[in-house]
Amino acid sequence: MAQTFGWTGKILRVDLTNGKVSIDDTMKYKDFIGGEGIGYKILWDEVPAGTHPYDPENKLIFGAGPLCGSGVPCSGRTTIVSLLPTSSHHGAGSSHMGGYFSVEMKYAGWDAIVLEGKAPKPVWIRIEDDKVKIEDARWLWGKGIFDTMAMIDSQMGKEAQVAAIGPAGENQLNMAVIRTGTSHSAGGHGGILGAKNVKAVAVKGTGSVKVAADRSKLMELDKYMMSIIGANNQMVVPSSPQPWAEFSDKGSRWTGRPGLYWGAANPPVETGTCDPHDMQSVGFRTMKAVFDLGAGAEKYTVRMGGCAHCPIRCHSQLKVPQLEKYGMDPFVSNTCVGWSGPRGVMYNGIKEFDGNGEDSSIVGNAIGTTMVDDLGVWCNYGQIGRDVKYLYTKGIFKKVLPAEEYASIPWDKLEKGDATFLIDFYDRVAHKKGEIWHIADGSAWFAQRWGLGDEYWDYKDNKLWTRGGYPVHHSNEAGAQVGALISCLTNRDSQNHSHMNFIGSKLPIAIQKEIAGEIFGSPDALDAPMDYTKMNEYKARFIKYAVVRGRLHDSLTLCNWMWPMAVSPLKERKYRGDTSLESQFFSAVTGVAKTEAELDKDAERVVTLLRALTVRSMGTVDMRNTHDAMNKWIYTPDKKDGKEIAQFTKGTIQMEKSDLDLGLGMVYKQFGWDEKTGAPTKAALEAVGLKDVAEELGAKGLLPA
Amino acid sequence: MSESKENEEGLLGSTSSRRDFLRIAGTGIAGAFVTLTLGCATMVRTQDGKNLKVWATPSGAMVQDPNLCVGCRRCEAACTVRNDGKASAYVARVKISRNLNYGVEGVSSAYALADGQHGNFRIVAQTCRQCAQPKCGDACPAGAIKADKKTGARIVDARRCVGCGACQDACPWHIATLDPETRVSTKCSLCDGDPTCAKACPTGSIKFYTWEEAEKLLWGADATSGASAVSGATA
Repeated sequence: MAQTFGWTGKILRVDLTNGKVSIDDTMKYKDFIGGEGIGYKILWDEVPAGTHPYDPENKLIFGAGPLCGSGVPCSGRTTIVSLLPTSSHHGAGSSHMGGYFSVEMKYAGWDAIVLEGKAPKPVWIRIEDDKVKIEDARWLWGKGIFDTMAMIDSQMGKEAQVAAIGPAGENQLNMAVIRTGTSHSAGGHGGILGAKNVKAVAVKGTGSVKVAADRSKLMELDKYMMSIIGANNQMVVPSSPQPWAEFSDKGSRWTGRPGLYWGAANPPVETGTCDPHDMQSVGFRTMKAVFDLGAGAEKYTVRMGGCAHCPIRCHSQLKVPQLEKYGMDPFVSNTCVGWSGPRGVMYNGIKEFDGNGEDSSIVGNAIGTTMVDDLGVWCNYGQIGRDVKYLYTKGIFKKVLPAEEYASIPWDKLEKGDATFLIDFYDRVAHKKGEIWHIADGSAWFAQRWGLGDEYWDYKDNKLWTRGGYPVHHSNEAGAQVGALISCLTNRDSQNHSHMNFIGSKLPIAIQKEIAGEIFGSPDALDAPMDYTKMNEYKARFIKYAVVRGRLHDSLTLCNWMWPMAVSPLKERKYRGDTSLESQFFSAVTGVAKTEAELDKDAERVVTLLRALTVRSMGTVDMRNTHDAMNKWIYTPDKKDGKEIAQFTKGTIQMEKSDLDLGLGMVYKQFGWDEKTGAPTKAALEAVGLKDVAEELGAKGLLPA
Repeated sequence: MSESKENEEGLLGSTSSRRDFLRIAGTGIAGAFVTLTLGCATMVRTQDGKNLKVWATPSGAMVQDPNLCVGCRRCEAACTVRNDGKASAYVARVKISRNLNYGVEGVSSAYALADGQHGNFRIVAQTCRQCAQPKCGDACPAGAIKADKKTGARIVDARRCVGCGACQDACPWHIATLDPETRVSTKCSLCDGDPTCAKACPTGSIKFYTWEEAEKLLWGADATSGASAVSGATA
C-alpha cells in the first residue's frame, strides 16, 4: 500500500465466525473521510436491509479518522457504527467514546476495526500492532468492565487500551454500552458485541500517525487553534468575572476561577484565572465537577481528566470515600449525562441517606455512575430516568410487573430519595431479572410490550422526540427550529453540538447574532433563548451546517462536543473563531488539500448516505411522515392559568406544527432532497457521488417520484 | 534556556550525583589527564588502562508534576511531531502513555486504589533525567549518544545510531526508545533549549528545570518516578 499521511491506510477485518483476520485498504473509502463515514459505507455495502442488529450478518465498526492520533486538539474520539438495537426500525447509527482507544488503534496501524459474524464462544480480540489474535474470554465473561480491563491489561501490558462490555452487553440489552478507559462510554452498541460473543477489543500500538505538512506548519496551526478554543462545549465566556474577560455568565462551563480548587489533589490545585492567552492554564478552565455535581464536589475532585490530545478536560475525577460503604472503590469519574443519566432514575431527587448528609447527592451520583460503568448499561441519554418516573408514577409498573416482582422492588427507597435504590435497580436491569429489565429494550420496544400508546409518546416530560425511540438532545430548547429539526435526522438522540456549541457560547446575543450573520447569511439564523421567531431560510442553512459538521467531526474524528470553532474567547478577534480550522488541519495532516467547502461536501456525502440507509431500512421514501414525524408535545402550546401560551411569544419554547412542517421542507431543500418526502433524490445522491446508492434505491423503488 | 552556570562548571559542580561519580571513578581517574569540553563527552584513560567517558553536565531536564498532569498526552504528540514529523506515543521522549492506566508499577490486584486512570487517577510520567553518567550513552557501541553542545542534553546522532537498542536496555527507566519504524533510537534532546512538550502542556505540569532543581526533583524523594517530589505528596 502506498504511503499515507493521517490515515494509516489499513482497516482490520475480523471474521468471528471462522476466526479469519484480513486487511482492507482504507483509501478505497477515502471519499467518506474516516470514522463514521467509513462505517456507514460498510453498512451500506455489506449489511442487507432487514438485518437484525444481533444477527451475525450485522457488522460493527470501530472507526477513527485521519486526524485522530495526529495530536490535533480534541481528536481522541472513537466512532462506533452499527445498526441500533433501540431504534424502532433498527436504523444505522453511531455511538462515540472518548478516551484513548482510537489513538492506540491508529498507532497500532489501523484506521478501523470491522467485526463480522459471530464467534462460536466468548472471545476477546488482542491487537498488538499488526499481530491480531482471537483469545478465549472464558475467564472474562460475566465480569464487570473494570475488572475485565485489568485482567486484559495484566496479559497485554499496562499500556494497552481496552474497549469492553459488561454483563448488560453480554446479555444483549438494547441499552448497553461499549466502554473504554475509566469513564468513556459509547451508548447503544454494547449488545451487538454481546451477540457476537465479543467481550472486548484491546489494542497496543508502537507506531505513529504520519504528518504530511512541514512539522512547523502543524505546530503553528496547533498554536493558533489553542488561542481560539474555549471551555467545554466551546463556551468562551467565564462563569465568574475575570480580569481578562469583558463578559461573564453564571451558566458557563468555563468554571475555573481564583479560589476554586481540585480539592482532593494533594496538595490542592487552584484552577485560577485561566487567561485565554496562557496556554498552560487551558486545562484548568473546565472545572466540571462543580458544574455537574454542585459546589460540594470541589473537595472530592482529584483532577480533571478526559481524552487523548484534548486540552479541555471535561471528565471530573473524584475520590468519594463514602463509596466504600457500598463495596465500591472510592475513585469515580464521568461527565455530564454520565452522571445525571444513571442517577436520573431517582426521579424524586436524592435526599439525605445512610448518614451521607449534605453530600448525599454526590454520593448518589457516584453510586449510579459506578454501577452503570461496571455493568455497562446505557441510559439512552437520560431516558431511563424519565421512563422510570412515568412507569412508576402512572402505575404502569404495578400493572405489567408480576406481583411478586413488584413487591420485591424497594420502591420506598426510590420515593425517599435513597440512592442505594440504584444498586438494586441496575442489578436487575443488567442481569435481565424479572420483567422490569425490559425498560432497557428502549422506548420503542417496551412501549409495544407494555401497551403504551399516544399518551406515553406525547407526554411532555418524557421528552421523546419521535416514535423511533429516542429523546431530545439539544433540540427545541437549543435554537428553536434549529435544534428541533436536527433532532429528526438521526436514528437515536442527535448528539449534535455543532449548533449547541454556538448557541451556548455565552457571548451576548448581539455578538452571537452578528457572527451568525457572517456564517449563515443573516442574524435571523439565531433566536435569543426563549424568544423564538418563525422558521426562515437562514435557520435552514444553520441546520445544514450543524448536521454536516456533526458527521464531519465523527468522521475525522474530532470531538463534536468541542468543535467547530465558530467563536473564540478573544476580544481582539471580536470573539470570532475560525470555521475553516477542520480543513486546515485536514490538509496539513493528510497532505490532501481541501477547502472548507470541499471538506463539507465530503461530510454531506456521509449525511446523505445515512439518510439513504434510513430510507432503505424503513422501506419507504416517506421520511416526513414516518421517521421525521415529531411527537405531539413538541408543538403543543404550554398552558398558564388554564390559558394557552401562544407559540413565538417570549418565554415559551414550544414549536408550531405548520412551522415545523415548513421547516422540514426547507431543510430537505438544503440537502437537495425531495421536499415532500424528505428522501434523497437521484440527483441529490449523484451530486455527492453516490450514484451506486441511487441505483440500488431506484431498483428497490425507494427514490422519490 | 541559556547555557547555565552549572553547565560551565561541568564536572566540578557540587551536586550530589556528580560528587558520587567523582568518588566512584576517583581512584581510577587520579593522575589521568582530564579535559572537559563544554557540551561534549570526553574520553579519559584511567591508570589501569580503561577508557572512561566523562560527560559534560546538561543545562537541566524535563520534570512532570503528577498532581497537575491531566493525561491529555499533548506533550507526547507535540514531541513527536516536532522531532519526528509524526505523532506517536511509543517513541515520545516524555513517557505518559505507558503509566497512564496503572502507574509505573503496572496492573495489580489492587489496581483500583493504585496509581493511574484505573485507580487513584494519579498520572506519573517518566522523563529523561539527562543523567550525569548516562547509562544509555555508556552502553552505545557506536558512540551515537553524546552531549549536545548547546544544552548538554544527551542526544542521539541518528547518522551513527545502528539501531541495536542497547541504550533502551541500559537505561534503568527505558527512556531511550528504538523507533520501530526507523530503527533509530530516540530520546529527549531538550528541543535545542525550547522544549516542545512544556509548551503543549495545558496545565504547566511538565516543565524544564535547571540541572540542580531537576536533580533534586528526580533523585530526591522517589528514585522510581522521581517526579512525585514536585508536588511533594501523592493524591
